[in-house]
Amino acid sequence: MPFVPHPAPALEEYEELRRRLRAARVGIVGLGGLGSNVAWMLARAGVGTLALADHDLVDPSNLERQFFFSDQIGLPKTEALSANLRRITAGIGLECFQTHIDESNLGELFGDVHVLVEAVDSAHDKAMIVAAASEQLPGVPIVAASGVAGYGSPNDIITRHLMGDVWMVGDLVSEASVEHPLFAGRVAVAAGHQAHMTVRILLGYPQA
Amino acid sequence: MRVQLAFFASLSQYLPETGSEDRVSAHTRAMDLPDGTTVGQVITLTGLPDEPRIVFVNGRHAPDDQVLTEGDRLAVFPPVAGG
Repeated sequence: MPFVPHPAPALEEYEELRRRLRAARVGIVGLGGLGSNVAWMLARAGVGTLALADHDLVDPSNLERQFFFSDQIGLPKTEALSANLRRITAGIGLECFQTHIDESNLGELFGDVHVLVEAVDSAHDKAMIVAAASEQLPGVPIVAASGVAGYGSPNDIITRHLMGDVWMVGDLVSEASVEHPLFAGRVAVAAGHQAHMTVRILLGYPQA
Repeated sequence: MRVQLAFFASLSQYLPETGSEDRVSAHTRAMDLPDGTTVGQVITLTGLPDEPRIVFVNGRHAPDDQVLTEGDRLAVFPPVAGG
């Protein structure tokens, strides 16, 4: 289908778009190559509040593709990412949960988000987060990712409206492994898809 | 009862062989099943591998013991690691 640009917003509409994004609250589960990059993109896009969850600490290997710095090694990812996001937008609203997210706490911690971004690593956790969100956050759009590893073309990474309230980013098949590592560029492409789909949903353009 | 099965990505190879009238799309088939069939029974019947999967019926997560009803759409997606 040909790309049909949205009409350029008039100034007052543009202000309304900015206002909508400022009023938005987005949850991000997992602050690795996807989640940490989605976070800064949403911060720069003007999303007002981010709820960030990851139980882990910054590891030297994370610096290959994640939005952390060498002097943050050993810090909780939630704490390091908060500091980095506040360097972009001092007044951004941040809620941090340094804990593992599963069906026991997802609904409680993310009950008031407008969009939930699934950005965890393992296939098991991805399935668990999407299932728990579907049950506990009915009506909340979930922007998930699957198939972001390896040497494949960046052009194979796309956004689909998969089913129900689930949008899926990725090539769907490229599983991370020793032979197919995660590369900064390809993961960032997927993170960009997730961030921009989130913005589109928040602005009322839910088509992938 | 007649239901639709949508198996995404690598799972599309597990869709039952059907006539062209049952082919809804590349990854979706219409299928006749006995009344009372559960989600888990369809997963067993089609031989889906024992790997993580997202299972939805009519756009909502569905547990294995959910009983399907006429016109339901069962969708299964296999997430892969990396993030």
